[in-house]
Amino acid sequence: MSKINMQLKELTENVGKSYSVLQVDYPTPNQAALDFQPGDVHAVLAYLKGQGFRQMSLLSCVDWIEDGQFQLVYLLFNWEAGLRLQVRTRIDRANPVFTTVTGIYPGAKYYERDVHEFFGVEFNGNPDSSKPLFLENWDDMPPMRKDFDPQAYSDRKYKAREYKTDFNTKAGEGQ
Amino acid sequence: MATADKEKKLKEGWEGISRFFRANSLWMLMYCTGCCAIELPQAMTSRYDMERLGMGPMATPRQADVLLVTGYLSVKTLRRVIYAYEQMSTPKYIVAFGPCTINGGIYHDAATVIKSLDQYLPIDVYIAGCMPKPEAVMNGFQDLIDMIKDKTADGWKRYRDNYDWYKQNQIESLGELRIKDEYHE
Repeated sequence: MSKINMQLKELTENVGKSYSVLQVDYPTPNQAALDFQPGDVHAVLAYLKGQGFRQMSLLSCVDWIEDGQFQLVYLLFNWEAGLRLQVRTRIDRANPVFTTVTGIYPGAKYYERDVHEFFGVEFNGNPDSSKPLFLENWDDMPPMRKDFDPQAYSDRKYKAREYKTDFNTKAGEGQ
Repeated sequence: MATADKEKKLKEGWEGISRFFRANSLWMLMYCTGCCAIELPQAMTSRYDMERLGMGPMATPRQADVLLVTGYLSVKTLRRVIYAYEQMSTPKYIVAFGPCTINGGIYHDAATVIKSLDQYLPIDVYIAGCMPKPEAVMNGFQDLIDMIKDKTADGWKRYRDNYDWYKQNQIESLGELRIKDEYHE
């Protein structure tokens, strides 16, 4: 890997002095991924916003179904220095509740709606977060969870075309 | 008897004339929902020049004759396509592009994409290919023109006659047909 951006390295070290960083990772030379306890995230985001990370580009979510956890990933961008930062935390999958960050980054309002719709994570303090954003009349579990079966939903919901089959392969044939 | 025959002949003659003009002056409403729409610019512009068949783009559903459904439809877009189709004045035709409108294509297992468009709206012409080449698109339009001339492009009549069946299928898959859009309420 090429040389990691010095400013970014310095910044992650400064963050580590005040907050307990569980893990540091450098996916690219100008990008760092930091893991925190859920309770530290808001303080870290507020600190980083003051350090030039003015833009929250995305709030993403990862379903770690075997660990029983959802991982929330806040992607921040620093326009002056061209640095990117991932602030990551893991919350309980059985009771997915987190506190909103709209007080720090107002644009998170729509990302939180997005994550609520596709993963079912509740965001306390964001009254809009439970409104539907993309899906209309959705009537099943949040569709981006790993235990959701899109094929079964599609077969149940949408009529398929019926075909006449002229030839059926025997077991093991044509594999 | 003689006058009734005469009237019938006259009526058929008029219908023949109107079919001739309909077939040679088609205004398209392009509902570019999917990737097949990328083949339309080539078909429309100088290389294949769709206008030589008498076809041109139209901005509003109420003035259009042909609805082009270019590719996959999510339930969200299907709801809007139904709105657009029902706004069009008869006679109206639908040309469906690609395998997604036939059986779902590569989206056959997607939770938000319908599988078979002919369950919800009547199709006159399917154009095969993922995506269909401009030659196939032009061939499909020529087929539509021929079908209008020999009275086989009767999708709008099927929709009118089997309206309850179509509505039932639409409601089964979409839940509610009315569009609820928070930005316009």
